[in-house]
Amino acid sequence: MPATEYQGSFLGRISIRRNQVIAMDGNHEQELEDLELFQKHVADRFGELLAQPSDEIPNDPLLSIAWLRKLLDMFLCCEAEFKAVLIMGRDPSQISKPPLDRLLPEFLDRVVKALDICNAVSIGVDLVRHYQKLAEIVVSAMEQRPLGDGQVRRAKKALTSLVAAMTLEDGSNTKSTERTWSFGRRGSGAVANKDRAAAQFRSLSSTMAKNWSASKQIHAMSSNLVAPRGNESSGLALPVYIMSNIMVFVMWALVAAIPCQERNGLMTHFQVPRQLAWAQSMIGLQEKISEEWKKKEKKGCAGLLEEMQRLEKLGQSLIEFTDSFQFPIEAERLEEVKVQVDELAETCKKMEEGLVPLQLQIREVFHRVVRSRTEVLDVLDQAGKVSAPSM
Amino acid sequence: MEPPENVGFEFETAEKIILRWDSTASEEARDKMIFEGDRQEVNLYLQAVDEIQRSMSSTSISDDQNKVNSAIQIAMARLEDEFRNILIAQTNPIETDSLTDPNSSTSSGTGGADFDDDVNGEEEEDGSMSKDDELVRHNSGVSSVSSSYRSTSSIREIDLIPSDTIFDLRSIAERMISSGYLRECIQVYGSVRKSAVDASFRKLGIEKLSIGDIQRLQWDQLEAKIRRWIRAAKVCIRILFASEKKLCEQIFDGIGTAIDDACFMETVKGPAIQLFNFAEAISISRRSPEKLFKILDLHDALMDLIPDIDIVFESKSSESIRIQAAEILSRLAEAARGILSEFENAVLREPSKVPVPGGTVHPLTRYVMNYINLISDYKQTLIELIVSKPSTGSRYSGDPSTPDMDFAELEGKTPLAIHLIWIIVILQFNLEGKSKLYKDASLLHLFIMNNVHYIVQKVKGSPELREMIGDDYLKKLTGKFRQAATSYQRATWVRVLYCLRDEGLHLSGGFSSGVSKSALRERFKAFNAMFEEVHRTQATWLVPDSQLREELRISITEKLIPAYRSFLGRFRSHIESGKHPENYIKYSVEDLETSVMDFFEGYPVSQHLRRRSQ
Repeated sequence: MPATEYQGSFLGRISIRRNQVIAMDGNHEQELEDLELFQKHVADRFGELLAQPSDEIPNDPLLSIAWLRKLLDMFLCCEAEFKAVLIMGRDPSQISKPPLDRLLPEFLDRVVKALDICNAVSIGVDLVRHYQKLAEIVVSAMEQRPLGDGQVRRAKKALTSLVAAMTLEDGSNTKSTERTWSFGRRGSGAVANKDRAAAQFRSLSSTMAKNWSASKQIHAMSSNLVAPRGNESSGLALPVYIMSNIMVFVMWALVAAIPCQERNGLMTHFQVPRQLAWAQSMIGLQEKISEEWKKKEKKGCAGLLEEMQRLEKLGQSLIEFTDSFQFPIEAERLEEVKVQVDELAETCKKMEEGLVPLQLQIREVFHRVVRSRTEVLDVLDQAGKVSAPSM
Repeated sequence: MEPPENVGFEFETAEKIILRWDSTASEEARDKMIFEGDRQEVNLYLQAVDEIQRSMSSTSISDDQNKVNSAIQIAMARLEDEFRNILIAQTNPIETDSLTDPNSSTSSGTGGADFDDDVNGEEEEDGSMSKDDELVRHNSGVSSVSSSYRSTSSIREIDLIPSDTIFDLRSIAERMISSGYLRECIQVYGSVRKSAVDASFRKLGIEKLSIGDIQRLQWDQLEAKIRRWIRAAKVCIRILFASEKKLCEQIFDGIGTAIDDACFMETVKGPAIQLFNFAEAISISRRSPEKLFKILDLHDALMDLIPDIDIVFESKSSESIRIQAAEILSRLAEAARGILSEFENAVLREPSKVPVPGGTVHPLTRYVMNYINLISDYKQTLIELIVSKPSTGSRYSGDPSTPDMDFAELEGKTPLAIHLIWIIVILQFNLEGKSKLYKDASLLHLFIMNNVHYIVQKVKGSPELREMIGDDYLKKLTGKFRQAATSYQRATWVRVLYCLRDEGLHLSGGFSSGVSKSALRERFKAFNAMFEEVHRTQATWLVPDSQLREELRISITEKLIPAYRSFLGRFRSHIESGKHPENYIKYSVEDLETSVMDFFEGYPVSQHLRRRSQ
């Protein structure tokens, strides 16, 4: 390239990687515009998520599988835009001067925590599938005609396991005990059922590192989030701040919804300043979800996933039914129970159709976030400002 | 018209048996397990179950149906417990002794000792496999000179459960599934077997580390973990998972559709993900040059495992595992490429500004040459992975901070070779920058000479490296250090020898005229001073390579000695005829010869220079 193209001295360095270096002048306007757009898009997308279902636009209930999938989609969109704003065509040295020299490493640190949360949530989805299968046993049993003692007992067994598993304190008994089942644990009594559920839960949830705690990760991710002030608020510090908040929110919502190792003390209070336009809907969502969480936390809940809540509610109700069941059953009662069983079946269907795609999406989020992290690290390295890597 | 059939006598007998074993009903039923007891009992019970199942289809009276269904549920609940109990009784973490060949030595490969330290399994397998069987299996395999891991070089299924137990499990599974209790069966199976796999994981030392944990660890700790992981992964895929798969097939094959797949995934999905998460975390760790080789080890190990992963996880439901393995492999490859780039960057930018004393080989040179030597050791893998040329350095880039290099000259070379040459180019570029830190021009040239020579020696010392760098470029490098040697000599000795020139010593009129005694004395003084200074200084310089040192000294001597000898010969009489000749003719030829021996030794000389021969 002819030397005349270069204007600043630092532009004279050809970067070793394939970043396109663009001319500096006249670009500041474009940049501001991009930032504005970014904020607007964020506001719009979160607005969609917050919107109540109406007759014209049936929306997915908050924290249902479909809603979560939308949330993740939206995250991917924001992420792509963020990357464009931050990195594309930018000279590396711009990204490594203050305040970004401090903010970006913090951001990357949050990213690493988000990756771990993705993994933990993915494991949690497997647990939810386990609940789904228990529920399917119930459906299968209760759909039999004539509905007899055998089917009801079968359903009750599954229901007990299901409800016990879902109300278990998640992760608090993470001591993975090497239990050999003593004789006394056999049989189909309620106690044995609960133990079985406990052991199954433990074995299913034992894949994260021993002292890993979802709530601590979220807390750490948000602890150093400070809104940029003064002239920082118009520079690149702002999109970093916005994206960080989005990331924290998404991870937090996932953790609240899906069973995840160690969620005691999951934070319910966020520090996003209320006057920020792009944050309004997100704050609204935070409040709603926090409220739900606080309600459920006392009772010990597996998670706020809408389908799971439904499973739990129906489960409790059906247990009552099974407790008072007498053969033969009156047609009226049968009708009543059928409604619930149908709802249960419907929920299982949603889970069957949605949980695997959800897992795939989480994986996609994982990939994207890793890629962005690598690209940011590359740019930082190019700027030569990255200190000796600790890893 | 026939009346609807009532359940018959056989049903009543069967029902009695089922009810007798209803564990919700009696203490006795709870305390004993059918399958642990009399074989007769077992058969009776199974027959009873079959009878009940038959009755299902043959009755249509609602009350009777209820009875039958109720009996089935009791039977299924019982069978579920029996199934669980049998599985648990048979569940032992995999026998780790059987994983390594007791005969082989812990020789090559990646540190056998570590693995043995991890292994502490002492439990007996349930009589299924004697040590002899193991040895026979091993010896019939391909003999190889590697370490105790020959047993994990290919899939090797172990029988986890003895076959008569399998028979029992099958008979239970069949009945559960044909009664529509498939889900319960899968769940019981999955939860017990998964615990077994988890226990085996613990024995193999497979840790649960989060990505955050791994980011925080020091690299040398991680190297050890990677080594351990590679060994463990081979066992997991080829033995552990393969055996679990076989077990599922043994129990569930032929019963229903793809139930063995479902059970297999229930059992191993979590552990497989846990296993791969470690490799994935390593593949996304921050890139820095020292990580290259362990990452390549990990890459190679995983690549080696992929065909077996594809076999073990071949079913549709395990696709995600195959995909993840492929993703991790590709990330590791990317990481390797990225690290190489990082390395090139680091060599170019290496900023140390302290001139290395004595002009010797710079630590950077050593580091870089050792590094690319190692790269050539990993040539086989890297040739596959490195597919593009270095993305910089076209000729006439106009950028003063990177060297130029015309890649067109290197047609026909693999991208890897081009990278290696490029690395040497940027190393020299960096060294040239560092050489300018020397105020003394002679030292500058000596420094370049030393370092380029070192590069040449290293390349020559490795056949793979030499083959990749190519003799053409090697010739260029050789020429370069020879040139540097010449430049050094010129820089130092031209002015010294200038003292010994003929011109200017004669009074006007040519040779036949007299010699200016004062000029001559000045010459001798100048020569002595210069030589002493050069001697004092350059004794502390270092040419580490002994042959090069010798050659350089000889070259100096070849120029210096004849010139001095001839000068002495022609002019000494003039000095000796004057006062205090010893002030001017301080050194004999031998003295000079001896002094040259002090050069480039790297330490200061004592004041023994003045060894004027008496």
